[in-house]
Amino acid sequence: MGFILALKMAIASIISNKGRTFLTMLGVIIGVAAVIAATGFAMGSTASITSSIEGLGANTLTVTLYNKGTNRDLSYDEFIEFTEENAEYIEAVSPTVTGNATIKYETESYDNSQIIGTNAAYEIVKDSHVQEGRYILDLDLEFRQKIAVIGTAVVNNLFDSKEEALGAYIKIDGTPFKVVGILDEKEGGQEGSSDDVILIPLTTAQRMFSSAKINNFTILVPDSDLVNETVVILETFLTDFYGTDDSYRVFNQAMVLDTLSEVTNSLALILGGIAVISLLVGGIGIMNIMLVSVTERTREIGIRKAIGAKRSSIMTQFIIEAVVVTGLGGLTGVLIGVLSIQLIISRFVPPIIDTTWVFVSFGFSLVIGLVFGIFPALKAANLNPIEALRSE
Amino acid sequence: MAALVEMKNLKKTYKMGETYVKALDGIDLTIEKDEFVSIIGPSGSGKSTLMNMIGCLDALDEGTYHLEGIDVSELSGNKLAMIRSTKIGFIFQGFNLLSKLTALENVEMPLIYQNYSHKNRKKKAIEALEKVGLGDRLHHKPTELSGGQQQRVAIARALVADPPIILADEPTGNLDSKSGKEIMDMLVDLHKQGNTIILITHDTYIANTARRKIVLKDGKITEDVEVS
Ligand SMILES: Nc1ncnc2c1ncn2[C@@H]1O[C@H](COP(=O)(O)OP(=O)(O)O)[C@@H](O)[C@H]1O
Ligand SMILES: [Mg+2]
Repeated sequence: MGFILALKMAIASIISNKGRTFLTMLGVIIGVAAVIAATGFAMGSTASITSSIEGLGANTLTVTLYNKGTNRDLSYDEFIEFTEENAEYIEAVSPTVTGNATIKYETESYDNSQIIGTNAAYEIVKDSHVQEGRYILDLDLEFRQKIAVIGTAVVNNLFDSKEEALGAYIKIDGTPFKVVGILDEKEGGQEGSSDDVILIPLTTAQRMFSSAKINNFTILVPDSDLVNETVVILETFLTDFYGTDDSYRVFNQAMVLDTLSEVTNSLALILGGIAVISLLVGGIGIMNIMLVSVTERTREIGIRKAIGAKRSSIMTQFIIEAVVVTGLGGLTGVLIGVLSIQLIISRFVPPIIDTTWVFVSFGFSLVIGLVFGIFPALKAANLNPIEALRSE
Repeated sequence: MAALVEMKNLKKTYKMGETYVKALDGIDLTIEKDEFVSIIGPSGSGKSTLMNMIGCLDALDEGTYHLEGIDVSELSGNKLAMIRSTKIGFIFQGFNLLSKLTALENVEMPLIYQNYSHKNRKKKAIEALEKVGLGDRLHHKPTELSGGQQQRVAIARALVADPPIILADEPTGNLDSKSGKEIMDMLVDLHKQGNTIILITHDTYIANTARRKIVLKDGKITEDVEVS
């Protein structure tokens, strides 16, 4: 008997039992939809966290000093001196002081931008370069120059063109700063993005935000292979200095990404487990209904056998029926899963539909139909035609 | 050439709880091609069991059965299915049509199991339905047909694969006398066209339509006569 014909027969029998077929499929529908929605959510959140961590730069470490639980105080110069002594591990250090302020240019006013006080090393540490003009120089720090390097979001908000911006004086909390450079665009010049920044000399910022103490350092490690060693060196130095490891924190991007991927992996494992269980439960439901169906259709099976159906033809018919049911359930589940990612999950995290998971869960639903269809199909195929014809 | 049906001392016993029922108890029977045989006997005399034997639906316990010279008891399940689909056309008392399929689909079914192509299948099935006078009822479901029409669909299904034997088990049992007569006329016609027909009945009048009458009692043949 041809496959297409068996398929037609299966579909006809499914159509004649719509309500029951739908209930039978429910387990598979829910299982598949849950897998796709949950993996979509997990992958979306992972992607957004990963991209924000990676935004910190590839070989960079962040050191934050709290000066807590200790009476020792590490000065800026002491820290810089230490990094210079370990030049083979620390290529560059960029201290930062951040704050927010109102920015004005002529009649335009704007107050979303992040203002970062830093030094010339910021350029290589953050891999953030100017497209026009110049960067902050160490000389600017020495003379507490009132100059600013601005991101494209600031340009878009205050000026008509880059030409107008370059050399113009903007007022930051009333103090005029000369725009000397414009940064490369990173995120399309969006407001609130990493393009929405104003860099000013560290010393100028310290005075403006009246924060004498610098607590944040971004460190560039020359080679990603050295990152772990550098962390150890920094931690040893800081613990020795403070006598405790509560007063500082070395933030290693690679470490966070590792942890994140571990979390993601175990999440995927849990999801996979739930999926397998719910699909198995769905499969048992299918087997149950198929057994009922075989009993109900005993006479049909007897007639088919009397007319010349082989065991294999009857087997095929019932297995295909089971696979079509779970396949339809799988397809519906995929549809619901994808829709829930697009319509609901996309509000919270970037919507990611992983085709691998779509195919795996759909494929698994077919396998479930095959596996749980075998037993009822065998039962049908082994019916004695005479008994079957005498039934009813 | 070997006889179409040749049974020697064939026995079949059914177990019903503790008791054994000798449904067939030493049947010797030879049926040649082109015969029209009726098998008559009271209820429970083993007529249906004999038909199931001839139709290769059931396995014998003792004795031998050769169909066109082939020893049927030697054959595998798949071979038997093959024989049923190519050599036997069944007509049952209760029609035994599949209620979800149309007349045409019911008649196509034996051809499906013989792997006919879609086109040939349709063509042959339509021909068979036209032969039984249902050319205008191809797409009706059994429930939309009268009993006589349903039995005619069953006859078309039995004929469609051109089997050498047509086995009819009380084909008029569920029909009113008018439809019953139509069905009998049709079987007589089929015999005239060269089909071998084995007709089971408990109605003496109907049994006498055949050319040869076999009387069954308690699983034994008690009479085997030509009908004039
Ligand atoms: N599958 C079966 N299991 C048990 N007993 C059966 C079975 N088929 C037939 N019989 C018994 O065998 C005897 C003959 O039955 P059957 O061939 O159906 O008679 P008929 O068709 O002449 O009425 C009866 O006594 C019946 O009860
Ligand atoms: Mg009977």
